[in-house]
Amino acid sequence: MYSARDSAGRKIFSIQRNSRSLYMTRIKMEVVDNYLLTGATGFLGSHIMAGLLKRNQRLVIFGRSLGGLSLRERIRKILNWFAIAHLEELLEFYETDFMQNRLGLCDSEYDHLCSRGLVIIHCASDTSFAEKNRGKVIRSNVESLDEILKFASGSKAAWFHFISTAFAAGIDSAECPEKPVNSATFTNVYEESKATAEKIIAESCAGHEVPYTLIRPSIVYGDSVTGRSLKFNALYVPVRSAQAIRDIYLEDIRKNNGKKASECMVHLDEAGNLYLPMKIYIPDKGKINLIPVDYFAKTVFSIIEKPVHGSIYHITSNYPENMERLTTYTQKLLNITGIKVVIGRPGPDEARNPPEELFDHLIRPYLPYISDKRSFTRENTDRATSGDHPPDLNYEIFQRCMEFAIRADWGKKLFLPD
Amino acid sequence: MNDILKIAKSCRHYAMCKIDFLDTGLCKSGEEKHYVSFYPQGRMDLYAALAEKRVPVTEKCIEIADTCDLCGKCDYQCYFITEMKPTGVMRALKELVKLHLDNGGEVIAAEDDNILDEIKDIVGVFWATNDRAVALTYSHDPSPVAAPRMPDYVIMPGSTAEISAVVKVLSRHKIPYAVRGNGSSVMGFVMSEGAVIDLGRMKTIEFDEKNWLVKVGPGVAAFDLQKAVVKRGFRVNVAEPSALVCANIMCSGIFSLFSASYGTAADNYIDAEFVGHDGEVFRLNDRSAPNLFAFRKEDSTVPGICSSAFIRLHPVTDDEGAAFVPFDSLEGALDFTRDCAMRRIGIAIGVLGGEYLSVFLSPTKKLAAQVKDVFKEKLKIEYLVLVIGDKFALRSIKEMGFNYFDNRMMKMLNLGMSSLSSVKWFDMIDELSQGESFSYLGLKHFPDLIELALAPSAAKLVKDVDPSVRPFFEKLYSKPEMTDPIWLNMFRILSSRMGREKHVIPMIIYLPIDNNLITEINSEFKRIADGQGLKNDYGFITPLDDGKRCVFEYDYYLDQNDPDERMKMQQAMMEAGMMIERYSAETGTVTWIRYVFSQGFSRKENFLYSTQ
Repeated sequence: MYSARDSAGRKIFSIQRNSRSLYMTRIKMEVVDNYLLTGATGFLGSHIMAGLLKRNQRLVIFGRSLGGLSLRERIRKILNWFAIAHLEELLEFYETDFMQNRLGLCDSEYDHLCSRGLVIIHCASDTSFAEKNRGKVIRSNVESLDEILKFASGSKAAWFHFISTAFAAGIDSAECPEKPVNSATFTNVYEESKATAEKIIAESCAGHEVPYTLIRPSIVYGDSVTGRSLKFNALYVPVRSAQAIRDIYLEDIRKNNGKKASECMVHLDEAGNLYLPMKIYIPDKGKINLIPVDYFAKTVFSIIEKPVHGSIYHITSNYPENMERLTTYTQKLLNITGIKVVIGRPGPDEARNPPEELFDHLIRPYLPYISDKRSFTRENTDRATSGDHPPDLNYEIFQRCMEFAIRADWGKKLFLPD
Repeated sequence: MNDILKIAKSCRHYAMCKIDFLDTGLCKSGEEKHYVSFYPQGRMDLYAALAEKRVPVTEKCIEIADTCDLCGKCDYQCYFITEMKPTGVMRALKELVKLHLDNGGEVIAAEDDNILDEIKDIVGVFWATNDRAVALTYSHDPSPVAAPRMPDYVIMPGSTAEISAVVKVLSRHKIPYAVRGNGSSVMGFVMSEGAVIDLGRMKTIEFDEKNWLVKVGPGVAAFDLQKAVVKRGFRVNVAEPSALVCANIMCSGIFSLFSASYGTAADNYIDAEFVGHDGEVFRLNDRSAPNLFAFRKEDSTVPGICSSAFIRLHPVTDDEGAAFVPFDSLEGALDFTRDCAMRRIGIAIGVLGGEYLSVFLSPTKKLAAQVKDVFKEKLKIEYLVLVIGDKFALRSIKEMGFNYFDNRMMKMLNLGMSSLSSVKWFDMIDELSQGESFSYLGLKHFPDLIELALAPSAAKLVKDVDPSVRPFFEKLYSKPEMTDPIWLNMFRILSSRMGREKHVIPMIIYLPIDNNLITEINSEFKRIADGQGLKNDYGFITPLDDGKRCVFEYDYYLDQNDPDERMKMQQAMMEAGMMIERYSAETGTVTWIRYVFSQGFSRKENFLYSTQ
């Protein structure tokens, strides 16, 4: 049996081991007073940071400067975006490098942080899918774990929560339980790196008696209530692609009498909609598992409030969307007609027109996720959230999120005043 | 300073008004009278000197002013490069001279001079002069390190025999002389207080196709030679279009992107004829000739006057194309370049800076500034490796895994430049790249999308061009060669646009294609110029000798009329020189072009691999 203590040395839970697994008994729930967050400048990490700050929690932020901005300056921009700049005083900043010994911190800082028994939420991650970036992704998501895990064990961290992905489950099985990864095949290096990371974290934490959880969200989009988002990948890419293609042809129609548009049979219909004859091929009649970021953050807080050591949590939707519906939403939003979703692959002699080729190329990395046959169980999450489920992505939410994205020019005007 | 005087004093001396590169025909008086004084360049200098009362009105001055027919050809030529229109200066020159005469002003006649008479007996009365107006136009160039020097005589011999006889006269009278071909002059090498021997009349081009060579006179410019050679289905390795071929071999050995396969220095010629300082004529293939194939790492003097050179002709296949391979780092571009050179892929290879696309291809400064960010920020192009090769070479590049902008795409990018900054979907380049830089170029329909977005046309390209010359330029850019990367690189008419805003001083070295070394020296060049507050930029790199070495140009810029910038440039050039010497001593593999000047007839191996 071993136990975890808070920064004041108070025992907050104990863990017992039997022959098959670990059991945790929570002793005290409200005593955690300090969190350590990595990846706070990212999409998910920033929402976790904002949520904890709004709960008046103190946070230690590990991160790095980038693009001429210090870590503090980068975080300040995000706090402004959340309109919580006044809570900056609850943050402590440490410029760190996970690839360096003792995280690149000086001894006194490192030792001081070690003494505080922090709850670690490790959110930092490289989300590139490209195989060409394998080295970078593995370095960021796997090799960099060594130092943060050393810190966790050396500091007797109160908890180690790892933000993973539901898709770390791999593609060997369509049924994905909230259990350690048992798949050897993955869609891309990102999934693979997250699966490897989960394994390393589970082994390290268990070996060093650090209680841990693995939190696996599916695809996260903007806030379902406000439509706001800090990132515009995944769900946003097909919509942005369709908008870009629409605008290319609208420009041609407006400035060049639609000379090129007519070659692809693109034209404005009587209602003023752009007729864009495009077939979107998806390999399978699968689904798209989407959750809004507000639900993600709320669920994470429920989990870390009552964590169960060694548990895996799927923050996923039981009612995933499908490409047909999203296409309908997109056409309605952008005043487009003519787009069809086709299951399968283009025939060997089927010529793809320029907009189709461009669209295919843009959504290629996301194809496994927009025709996904995997389903995710979520008993642990249901227990932690008392069965709270994400809202369905109806047109209103879709419209809200996409209109925000368009207003933010897909991120270019993100930090300008609304 | 009024606008006319400012234009007059801003002539870059690139000599582009002395070649018919836009097919407008040449300045009539220049073509007839050959002295630089009768070309727009000379008239610009003369007007500035008269306006500032640095020369008197002379007999030749009146002739120079009178023979300008204000045809306006120089406006097209100069606007193409600098956006200046010299006709205003030509008109002002005529008016100034007329006013002087109307007011009964004195006209200075040439002084009697026995030596000049002796020279005139050799070359003819018209082809030697001591007129101050003519001498003025041979007295300076924009170099920040060379002070003006008024020659006593300007002499234009018409044959090797005349050169020989003139040299003997000058030697007998101990008169120093400088030799020039009346091409571009920007480094202060062609000035003398004694005589300037201008070989601009000697423009013979004689082909010997069965021996794959063409004999050229010292007054033949690169553009004119290439034009004659291309007509017969060949190609030669030449430098800037207005550079004189013989002089250019002497000065720098001639290097261009084609040097990747055609070589440089002694690789370019088969034989050459010289007039020695004693006036004796020799051929390099003579057993008793001075050994100009050798190289010594020292500042040296010209071994004689090159009166003709037998230039190598190269074959051309009908399947040549250009590949502009984009890179987001210099290192990546160098790796690819080295690989191509080692594998002998491509005929011409060059690592170009991102500015190539904006500065070289834009007809105006305004457009160049507008599109600069598009290439760098949106398309993420920091460097481009241009490879010209046959279909097998281009196929090899694809097989090596590199996508590129081909002839068609470059044509569209060029003619559609003014729309580039408004192409919204370029914001999605990251998504299109999908973690693999420039993978979007592999899309089958990418050229269609570019065409669709840019709606390229000559009319669109010239929409910001001065209305008075716009119709001409619209017609010009409609010509296929103006958007053909192979033609443009053979004739090199765009490179002079480097000097559009300011005069350019190229810093040139030979060194191995060593990424660390080049990156380091590149940073050093930048640091030095930045330290002086001078505009500076990477120029280009071309591999030599199967990629074992390369020639690297880094460019410094200055306002040639700003004394402060001239001083800063002198300081920067001195510091850069010291830096090059340091690397040369440390590595034993870096050679400064300074030592190749006047030794350009040497074997390239002797300076690329020199251990001295």
